[in-house]
Amino acid sequence: MDTSVQPDTESSLIEDLKKGNATAYKHAVREYSPGMLAVARFYQDQSGAEEIVQDCWVTVIGAIHKFEGRSGLKTWLHRIVANRCKNKLRATNREVSTDFSETLDPELASRFKSNGRWSLPPKLIFHESADTLMENEALSDCLDKHLSTLPETQRSALMLYEAHQHKSEDVCNILDVSASNLRVLLHRARQKIFLMVETFQETGEC
Amino acid sequence: MLMCKGLAEIASDYIDDELNSRQNLSVKMHLMMCKHCRTFIGNLRASTDLLKAHSSGRDNEEMIRRIDERVAEALKTWTPEGNNTE
Repeated sequence: MDTSVQPDTESSLIEDLKKGNATAYKHAVREYSPGMLAVARFYQDQSGAEEIVQDCWVTVIGAIHKFEGRSGLKTWLHRIVANRCKNKLRATNREVSTDFSETLDPELASRFKSNGRWSLPPKLIFHESADTLMENEALSDCLDKHLSTLPETQRSALMLYEAHQHKSEDVCNILDVSASNLRVLLHRARQKIFLMVETFQETGEC
Repeated sequence: MLMCKGLAEIASDYIDDELNSRQNLSVKMHLMMCKHCRTFIGNLRASTDLLKAHSSGRDNEEMIRRIDERVAEALKTWTPEGNNTE
């Protein structure tokens, strides 16, 4: 499902937000909050993240008249969230730590022989299209469950890049990670999803 | 020569077209010879598409409602210059 807003729709939405239109805010909150939450979750637990997103919307009401459209509205909102999170981290002196040294998921890495060839190759081909697969309620639940167990950093990178379709440089800016570390985060997270779908297709269990 | 494990390490970069031309060629050569890795790349790509389709479709309705309330409250003090406090 593509939830991105068309440019002309976006500019009329921005005009309405600048006028303080309550309906426009309702629409924008629904449209943009999930992505904003994904950013905040990189730095905060669920309830802390939601509080940040709420605070940011209040900030937006006071600051939208300064928005000049040099970036898209989504990117602007995500930067507001990221900056607020970073300030809060600085205030509490808490660091976000991530391990970028291993490219392969340990479970996947164990499926290769010492000569670098597969010992346990992928067995099944994922035939069905993504949309057909997502109609499978059990698989969709399973995906939710696995996404929620991913390390914060991986999940945020994954959600921003894949689900919210941000460009790499925007994700790097928002999350304050280097381009090469972003590649590691994305790859690690995708391997997890790959392993999950494989188990699900083989056993029907999550 | 690129082995299966080495290919698995750079598989996402291949899918996203982030490899340099030399690496890209070595992946393509390997894939021509290796059925397992073709399956792996196909499945990893499918997993990526799955995530795109999954998207943020399952919004937290409760969270949205709480934000709506907070925004409605804040809009009560709205002024055109955006100089409401907070």
